[in-house]
Amino acid sequence: MYTPPTTSTRGRVRLNVGGRVFETTAATLAAAGRDTMLGAMVDASWNSGVHDDPAPAEYFIDRDPSCFAVLLDLLRTGDLHVPPGLPEATLYREALYYGLLDRVRSARLGGFDPDRLRLASSVHGRSPGDGVAIRAAPDGGCCVSHGGASGVVRVYNWMLQERRPVYYPSHAPVNDAAYLDASTLLLAARERPGRRDDDGGVSSFSALTGETRHRFRVAHDRQPRSFTATALAFDGGCDVFASCKGRINEYGVAVWDCNTGEQTGFFYEPPGCALGEADRLQWLDGTNTLMVATMFPRTDSSFVSLLDFRDKSVVWSWSDVGTPASLEDKHAVDAVATEDGRSVCLVNQYDDLGFLDLRKNAASSGGVRWRSRSKLATMSGGKTKTKKAACGEETCYPKLAAHGGRLFASTGDAISVFSGPDHVMTSTLRCSNGGAICDFSIGGDRLFALHGEENVFDVWETPPPPII
Amino acid sequence: MSGGGPTRKRNFKIEAFKHRVELDPKYAERTWKVLEHAIHEIYNHNASGLSFEELYRSAYNMVLHKYGEKLYDGLQNTMTSRLKEISKSIETAQGGLFLEELNARWMDHNKALQMIRDILMYMDRTYVPTAHRTPVHELGLNLWRDHIIHSPMIHSRLLDTLLDLIDRERMGEVINRGLMRSITKMLMDLGPAVYQDDFEKPFLEVSASFYSGESQEFIECCDCGNYLKKAERRLNEEMERVSHYLDAGSEAKITSVVEKEMIANHMHRLVHMENSGLVNMLVDDKYEDLGRMYALFRRVPDGLSTIRDVMTSYLRETGKQLVTDPERLKDPVEFVQRLLNEKDKHDKIISVAFGNDKTFQNALNSSFEFFINLNNRSPEFISLYVDDKLRKGLKGATEEDVEVILDKVMMLFRYLQEKDVFEKYYKQHLAKRLLSGKTVSDDAERSMIVKLKTECGYQFTSKLEGMFTDMKTSQDTMQDFYAKKSEELGDGPTLDVHILTTGSWPTQPSPPCNLPTEILTVCEKFRSYYLGTHNGRRLTWQTNMGTADIKATFGKGQKHELNVSTYQMCVLMLFNNADGLTYKDIERDTEIPASDLKRCLQSLACVKGKNVLRKEPMSKDISEDDTFYFNDKFTSKLVKVKIGTVVAQKESEPEKQETRQRVEEDRKPQIEAAIVRIMKSRRVLDHNSIVAEVTKQLQARFLPNPVVIKKRIESLIEREFLERDKVDRKLYRYLA
Repeated sequence: MYTPPTTSTRGRVRLNVGGRVFETTAATLAAAGRDTMLGAMVDASWNSGVHDDPAPAEYFIDRDPSCFAVLLDLLRTGDLHVPPGLPEATLYREALYYGLLDRVRSARLGGFDPDRLRLASSVHGRSPGDGVAIRAAPDGGCCVSHGGASGVVRVYNWMLQERRPVYYPSHAPVNDAAYLDASTLLLAARERPGRRDDDGGVSSFSALTGETRHRFRVAHDRQPRSFTATALAFDGGCDVFASCKGRINEYGVAVWDCNTGEQTGFFYEPPGCALGEADRLQWLDGTNTLMVATMFPRTDSSFVSLLDFRDKSVVWSWSDVGTPASLEDKHAVDAVATEDGRSVCLVNQYDDLGFLDLRKNAASSGGVRWRSRSKLATMSGGKTKTKKAACGEETCYPKLAAHGGRLFASTGDAISVFSGPDHVMTSTLRCSNGGAICDFSIGGDRLFALHGEENVFDVWETPPPPII
Repeated sequence: MSGGGPTRKRNFKIEAFKHRVELDPKYAERTWKVLEHAIHEIYNHNASGLSFEELYRSAYNMVLHKYGEKLYDGLQNTMTSRLKEISKSIETAQGGLFLEELNARWMDHNKALQMIRDILMYMDRTYVPTAHRTPVHELGLNLWRDHIIHSPMIHSRLLDTLLDLIDRERMGEVINRGLMRSITKMLMDLGPAVYQDDFEKPFLEVSASFYSGESQEFIECCDCGNYLKKAERRLNEEMERVSHYLDAGSEAKITSVVEKEMIANHMHRLVHMENSGLVNMLVDDKYEDLGRMYALFRRVPDGLSTIRDVMTSYLRETGKQLVTDPERLKDPVEFVQRLLNEKDKHDKIISVAFGNDKTFQNALNSSFEFFINLNNRSPEFISLYVDDKLRKGLKGATEEDVEVILDKVMMLFRYLQEKDVFEKYYKQHLAKRLLSGKTVSDDAERSMIVKLKTECGYQFTSKLEGMFTDMKTSQDTMQDFYAKKSEELGDGPTLDVHILTTGSWPTQPSPPCNLPTEILTVCEKFRSYYLGTHNGRRLTWQTNMGTADIKATFGKGQKHELNVSTYQMCVLMLFNNADGLTYKDIERDTEIPASDLKRCLQSLACVKGKNVLRKEPMSKDISEDDTFYFNDKFTSKLVKVKIGTVVAQKESEPEKQETRQRVEEDRKPQIEAAIVRIMKSRRVLDHNSIVAEVTKQLQARFLPNPVVIKKRIESLIEREFLERDKVDRKLYRYLA
C-alpha cells in the first residue's frame, strides 16, 4: 500500500531507550505535558532545524527500557499495567525521572470505592512502641503516631516509602495528627509535668523534611500558656482547631490561622460540656460548626457538642451523664458526624452503632437510638471472640469514620462498611495478622488500618474498574 | 558501580542505597561545565547543537548525587551574569530603540528560561521543594526584575519612556501600542507588585497632574456642554487605553483619576457656569448635554446630588415665580396649563437625560409640592382647570386623550396639601356643570371621580357620587311627574326640577325670590306630587341655581327664545306688565338678593347683542337709581339667544374668604375626630406627639395648623373628652 512519505513519517518519533527501540508519535509524548521530560524533548524549542527532515526524529534515552515500556503504555492508554517482576519502586524512580510520577499516582490509585476495596499492602514499622493513631494524607500517603515517650510520627509518601520521621520538640507524646495539605502535617502533643513551658501543644511540620513550620501557641489574658492538645481539626479554609487542656480554668477549643500560626480565638469550656480533652474534633461544612466529642475511656461520661465560632455559642449538645443504671454499662467510645450533617453516629464498647439526631434538641430527641448488636455478632461471629480472647488485655475500642456516604466502623481486627439510609453492613475488610485495629483513616483514595500489635498497618485500595 | 550481585537479586533497598555513593567531585564540576555551556548557548540562540536528553540526564545526575545545591547556585550565578550583559546592551540602545530592545531581550529571556527549566526539570521537582528554593521559572523572573527592571540605568528610563509615550498619545500622536502592551505585560508577569510600584503608581500620579492642568485650561475657555464633551472623550480614551495595553485592574484606578480631576474638582463651577450651566440646559431642553452631565457626574461622589440640588432650587424658584406672578393668576386655566407644561418638560428631561432616576423624580415631585402650595388658590385653579376641560375643552378629544389629561391633573392634585379645599371647589364646579347641563362627557366625569376615589378613598368622593345619583333620580322623578300629572298641568310652562340632597351639594341657604305666578303654580303642583310620594321630606327652592327658556316677541314681531337664569326670568316676566321699571321696583317685586340682581341686570342690559333690556342712563354698571325698559329694538340673527349671567369664573375676594372659612369650619370636626381616635388608642399622650400624629393622619386631605389643633384640644378638654394630667401639664389623658 502506498502512502506518501510525508504523512507516514509526520509526527513519528523513534526512541532508543537503553538499546531498545520504541516508535511512537510526538503527539503521544506531548500529551504528557510540557512540564515533563518527554513533552519538553519533542517540543519545538529543542528541535529547531529538524522540521524539514523527512525521516522520523530519533532520540536516545539512557534509561531502563522495561520501565519505559510501562510508562509509554500509560501515555498511550491512560492505564498503568505493571508486569510481574517489575519492582514498583523502580517504576516510581523511572516515572520521577520522566516527570510522570503524578500520572502514575493517579493511574495507580483509582477513585475510592468502598465496595471494591482490596488489600494492597501491609507496611511494617520499626518503632519500638506500637502505633496509636494513623492519618491518611490527601495525596495517598500517611503518618503513624507512636505513643509512649518517643514522640515520633512516622511519615510515608504515597509510594509508601518512609520519609524522615517527625519528632515533636523534646519528644512530647503525640495525641493526634492532621494533614493541612499533602506536605504539611499538624500534630497535637501532651504536656508533661515538670518540663519547661514550651512542652506539648500544637505544631505544624513539613511532611517532606520533618522540619517545624509553626508553633501554635495559646494565650490566656494575653499571657502565653503551655497546654496539652488532645484532638485536632481543620476546616479546609484557614482555621485550625485543637482541644486544649491547660490550667484549671483554661479548658476549651483554640483556633489558629494555619498560614500565620496566630491564635484567632479560644472557646472556653462552658458548664455541662467537655471541650478541653476531646477525643475527636470534626468540622461540619454544612452548618459551619465544629463537633467536639469527648468519649468514655478518657472521661466517666461521653459528651458531644456542636460549636458555632461566629457567635461563640454551643448550638447543640448531648451527654450520657445520668443515664439510667441499667444501661450504664453501654458507653459511647467514638463518635462521628455523618456527611449530611444531620446526625452523629456513636459506637459503644460492644460494637453497637447508635445515632443522635442533630436536627432535634438532644434533650427532647430521647437520647441515643442504639442499633441491635446482632449485626456484628452474626456477621463476624466467633472469630472476633476468639481473637479478643487471644488478645487478652490488648483490646481496642471500636473507631468510626464517615466517607463517601458510608459509615466505617473498626471492630476487632476488621472494618465494617455500612451503606444506605439504614446503614446496612455491606462489606467487611479483614487482614490476616496484626491483631485488633486500633485506628484507621481514609484519604487520598486509600484506607489505612493500623493494627494494635505487630507494628503493622494495612493499605486498602480500589483496583482499576474492569475494562468493560 | 560495584556490588552487582545483590542488585540482581532484586533487593531494591540495597541498590537504592548504592546509588548514593559519592562520586568524584571533579565529575560534578565537569557536568556543571557542560550545563553552564548549554545555558550560554541557549542565550546565544545556539541551542540546535545541544542534546536535550543528554543535558537532562546530566542535571538529573547532579541532583541524584547530591549536587543539587551546586547546580542551583551555578544556575543562579550564570543567569545573573547573562542578565548583567543583557542589561548593558539594553542600556546602550538609543532613544526609541530602547523599548524595542528591552522587549526583544525579554522575549529571548523567556524562551531561554523555558529551555533552561526543561533541562533542570528534575531539580525543580525534587531538590527545589525539599530545599525550599525558588522554582527555576520564578527565579528567572526575579533575576530579570532585579537586574534589568530595577537596574539604576533602566528603571527610571523605562518609566519615563512609558509615561512619555502615553503623554504623546494623549496629545494625539500615534504610538506603537503592541510594544506598549508587551512591556506592561512583562511588568505584570514579573508580579502585580512590580507593575503597580514601577509603573501604575507613577502613571496615575502623572495622569492626575496632566488632567488637573488640562481641566483647568478647558474650564477657562469652554462652556459647560463642550467641557463635558471633552471630559467624556478623555474618559473613553483612558478606558480604551487600558483595554489596549494596560492591565485590566488599572481601569478603575485611571478612570477615578480622570473623574476626580476633570469632574469632581470642577463640579460646582460646571453646574453653575454662566450662560451654559445646568439651569441653561434645563431651560433650553438640552437633552444630550444633560444626559452627558448625568452620566459623568454619577461617577463621582456627590455628583448626582449636586445636579439634583441645583435642579431643585431652579424648579422651586421658577415655580414660585409661576404661582405668585399676579399676571398669571388672572386666568386659572392658563395657570394650570403652565404648571402641566412645566411638569411635562421636566418629566421628559428626567426620562430622556437622567435615565428615569428615582431620586430625580422625587426631587421634581417635592419641588412641585413646594411651590404649588405656595399659592393657596392652587386647589381652586386646578378644579377650575378640570371644570374648563370637562365643559368644553374635551370636545372632539378621544377617550385616551381625556384620560391623559385627567391623569396629569391628578398628578398636580397629589401635590396639593389642602386636598379638602380642592374637594370643596370641585364640588361647586361639578354642581354647576351638572345643573346647567354643561358637562360634556359623563364618562369623563365619572373617570375623574374614580381617580379621586383611588387617590383619596371612598369618603372623599361619596358626596360627589351622591350628586350624580341625585341627577339620575331627578330625571326619573320628572318623567314620573309628567306621566302622572300631564292632564292636570295643561298648557303651563314646563318644569324641570333637580332634587338635590342637602349636604351633597354646595348649596348656600339663600332666600327664594318671588317666582312669577305661572311658575309658582307648576311648582306647587310638583311639591304636592313629590311630598305625596316621599314622606317626611322638605323641599326648598334654590332659585339662584335654575335656568329658564322663555319666548319673547320684540318690536317688529321678531320672536326669540331666550335662555336665561331663573333670576333673569323673574325680572323679564315683570316686563310683561310694564314697559319701564326702576331698580328699586325690580328689587321689591322679585326679592332677588342685591348682588345677584345687579349681576343679572347687567347681563340683560349691558351686554352688546344680548341687551333685551334698555337702561337709563346708559352705563356699564348698575346703580340703584337706574331705570330699565323693554328693548323693542333688540335684534339678533339667532332664534335662540343665550343670555349668560356675568359670572366670575374665579371666585371674588369675599367669596374666597367665605370658602376658606367654610373649609376651616369643616376641618374642625375632622381634627377633633383624629384627636379622639388617637387618644382613644394611646390613652395618655403629650402635646407634641398628638400634633405629630394628627398631622400624619390628616395629611392625605390637608395640612392641619398646629394652632388649630391646639384649639381643638382645648375645646375637647372643655367638653370633657380629654383632661390635662394633674402632675405633668403637657400630658393629656383620654376620658372614656
